[in-house]
Amino acid sequence: MSITSPLSSLWRLATLAVVSIISACSIPEPPANRYQSDVEASQPEAQPVAELHNQALAALDAEQYQQAIDYLQRAIRIQPRNAWSWHYLAQTYWHQGQLERCLEMIERSSSYANDEVVDGANGKLKMQCQQGLVLLQ
Amino acid sequence: MPRKASRKKPTTTRRPRRKATTTRRPSRKTTSASRSRRKKVLAIAALILLGGFAIYLGYLNYLINSRFEGGAWALPSRVYARALELYPNLALTRKQLVYELDLSSYLEVASEPLPGQYRMLGASLEMNTRSFDFGDQLQDSRLVQVFFQRGRISALTDSSSGQDLQLFRIPPVMLGSYFPDNDEDRLLLAENEVPQRLIDALIAIEDRGFYEHKGLSPMSIMRALLANLKAGKTVQGGSTLTQQLAKNLFLTPEKSLLRKTNEAFMALLLELRFSKQAIITAYINEVFLLQQKRIAIHGFARASRMLFRRSVDNLEAQHVALLVGMVKGPSRYNPFTAPDVALTRRNLVLKVMFNQKLLDSEEYAKAVSAPSGIVDRLPGVNPFPAYLDLVKRQLQLDYSSAELARRGLRVFTAFDPLVQRNLELGLATGLKPFNQPKLQAAVVIVDYLNGDIQALVGDRVTDYPGFNRAVMAQRPIGSLIKPLLLYSLLQDKLTLASQVKDEPVRIQQSDGKIWEPRNYDRKLHGQMSLYEAFVRSYNLPFVALGVNGGLEVLAQNLDKIKLLKHDVIYPSMLLGTTSMSAYEVGQMFQVIANNGYFTPLTTIRSVADQYNHTLVRVPLESHKLFEQARMIQVQRAMIGVSEIGTAKYLGARFPGKTLAAKTGTTNEARDSWFVGFSKRLLTVVWLGRDDNSPINLSGSSGALRVWSEIMELQGFESFKLSRDDSLAWRHINPADGGITQKSCVDSVLLPFPRDRIPGARSRCQ
Repeated sequence: MSITSPLSSLWRLATLAVVSIISACSIPEPPANRYQSDVEASQPEAQPVAELHNQALAALDAEQYQQAIDYLQRAIRIQPRNAWSWHYLAQTYWHQGQLERCLEMIERSSSYANDEVVDGANGKLKMQCQQGLVLLQ
Repeated sequence: MPRKASRKKPTTTRRPRRKATTTRRPSRKTTSASRSRRKKVLAIAALILLGGFAIYLGYLNYLINSRFEGGAWALPSRVYARALELYPNLALTRKQLVYELDLSSYLEVASEPLPGQYRMLGASLEMNTRSFDFGDQLQDSRLVQVFFQRGRISALTDSSSGQDLQLFRIPPVMLGSYFPDNDEDRLLLAENEVPQRLIDALIAIEDRGFYEHKGLSPMSIMRALLANLKAGKTVQGGSTLTQQLAKNLFLTPEKSLLRKTNEAFMALLLELRFSKQAIITAYINEVFLLQQKRIAIHGFARASRMLFRRSVDNLEAQHVALLVGMVKGPSRYNPFTAPDVALTRRNLVLKVMFNQKLLDSEEYAKAVSAPSGIVDRLPGVNPFPAYLDLVKRQLQLDYSSAELARRGLRVFTAFDPLVQRNLELGLATGLKPFNQPKLQAAVVIVDYLNGDIQALVGDRVTDYPGFNRAVMAQRPIGSLIKPLLLYSLLQDKLTLASQVKDEPVRIQQSDGKIWEPRNYDRKLHGQMSLYEAFVRSYNLPFVALGVNGGLEVLAQNLDKIKLLKHDVIYPSMLLGTTSMSAYEVGQMFQVIANNGYFTPLTTIRSVADQYNHTLVRVPLESHKLFEQARMIQVQRAMIGVSEIGTAKYLGARFPGKTLAAKTGTTNEARDSWFVGFSKRLLTVVWLGRDDNSPINLSGSSGALRVWSEIMELQGFESFKLSRDDSLAWRHINPADGGITQKSCVDSVLLPFPRDRIPGARSRCQ
């Protein structure tokens, strides 16, 4: 465990404040108006969907691709705007070699993505699918 | 002539000589030759007879083979609803869960529930689900307690282990079947699924020597013969169970010697070839027990499910006795039409079971004093005909009607019985005030995010299996074309704030005729924003913009979703003269509601054979056909329709809720359309008459009201627009399209592409 001096704590606080101000200023619009959607992760469906994700990922590890698709489609029917469900579905199609379908699912996932992690994962997978398509051509 | 006569004469003279030959005493040599000839003839005749008999037996054997071994029965294909997923926080009331279980023939009990039963425990519900193969997973029966709080599930517990569950799937409701031509319905039991008590009771009543005889029982025949002679009429049958099975499976019910002979030989052959257990199981699956409208219920499994809501392994002695008693005469001992006769017969069976030591005295006393235990009324045959019809249409891409009626397929669909119920009740309530008996209706409810058709009706009498208007009735869609037209118009320079003119338009058509469209209210409204023209559904600005390029783009966009019906495009398409079914309208708005992602509307999720092998899986599709940002602008305009436009009734009816909507009315008010979507559900309502005469209802005064009744019952969450960084939101004055302040009374908040944000400022009015 490292001990931090009061000075360094102050410095960190100041940095944090500056970053917050900069990031607040960089938002061009109010974060949402009454017509716009909220973030899906806080929805009540999050828990059962997470359980289905776990089962799908286990099936994916076991190369049981159809089973993974079945779990993910259930998850999507429970919470259709979950970016991760669509991403995992894309991943499964990638494993199956269905690259066009993989790209379609990534596209859908990106339309719901609200964090950098899923965005990054989508970007990486998209590149792999596109490269695969080029190789096939 | 004379020559002929002379020829005949010698012939006649020869006859006496022949006679003489026959009367002559035969020599020893000729006698033995004739004997041997006779023997030969006899031998040949015997051979022919034997051959004929062999052929006859071979034929009977062939019949037995084809029915008994190669899939003895034509099995109806079953259509299942979606499996209800339960999880904490799901918006579901106990009443709704009971309705769902009720449709699956679950029985409410007071004690710990067996599979297929449930009980109320305080404010919770404990159910024991039946084991079920979902196609993707086999789930054993499970005892689960569901707790409710304020219209939601608060917790789920596995009663056996006491563990909390995060997710639990209930086996789906069977919403209907495709029956074989003979209209027989049955559920098959395997040999190891038949309860011993049922076998014992059946043998005790119908054929006590079953395990001893070889298909026929001469003693029984003699006994029956004597009894019948004594009574002077048929009072007793001497047929064994095997003979009865042979008769039921292969023969007609006529009483003839030939039929009896066939029956006897078939019984012998059955016994020769199959085990006693196989024969009794076949009998239990085959026997006719109940008639329900046009459908004949065969076999104990289906009859037990229908009469008692129990599977055969959950039958108690009194249930077994009632069913076994019905074998003798399904009409005479029908517990619905002749409850007393059926009960007397049941008690007789129970007495025999007791005498045969199949029941002890305690069990007998309990059973004989129990009520019949049958349901109040039998469930309807296919109560959701329109949905079933659409499933069949979609299935027929892979399977013929004949296959559906024979192969015992299991079709898993997106049907949601809870949504369907709200649709049916809401439609009935919504139609009442119009007081037009000939007014017809079609409604489609879709989860637009995945294309699932959750509910559908094709007739105002929702269980009437007639013309399915939701799929078949092609009607002009009127202003329902405007959202896709608006999308097409927003392609270039236009925005929702662009100024348009509502003024007379004259268009010369290809045939030289002049077309002068009018607004629904037949008035002119001057200059306004495109948003304003859309929400009030004014025709003239859209026609004026459409003929200047929008029409071609609209046709291309319709073609993308396979809804461009004609090769020739014509200006009146701009006002929705294109005809579509409610189902097709649902498809068009699915892509609008879903940010431009096209997912084919579907009823079917997967198909399995009778052994639960999955044959077809319908994957979730998602094709990006339209731009999200532009579609969000269209959606925002559709919200305006429900806030201040032709559907502002919704604002008053559902205060605080945001809905996207569009009304549609055709010439002389012949069709009344309404489409609206919430967070997940898209509902299309069409009202009109089959003879196409005016109904004097607009989209607002007709279909919108029905829509509201349905959605009131359904309950829904507000529709929200997706966030899109390429759009900027500004308050504008809808009268002139200029930027204004939020505080202005009439200002509306609209999205704009970042390169097309209006520059002009407008003062508050």
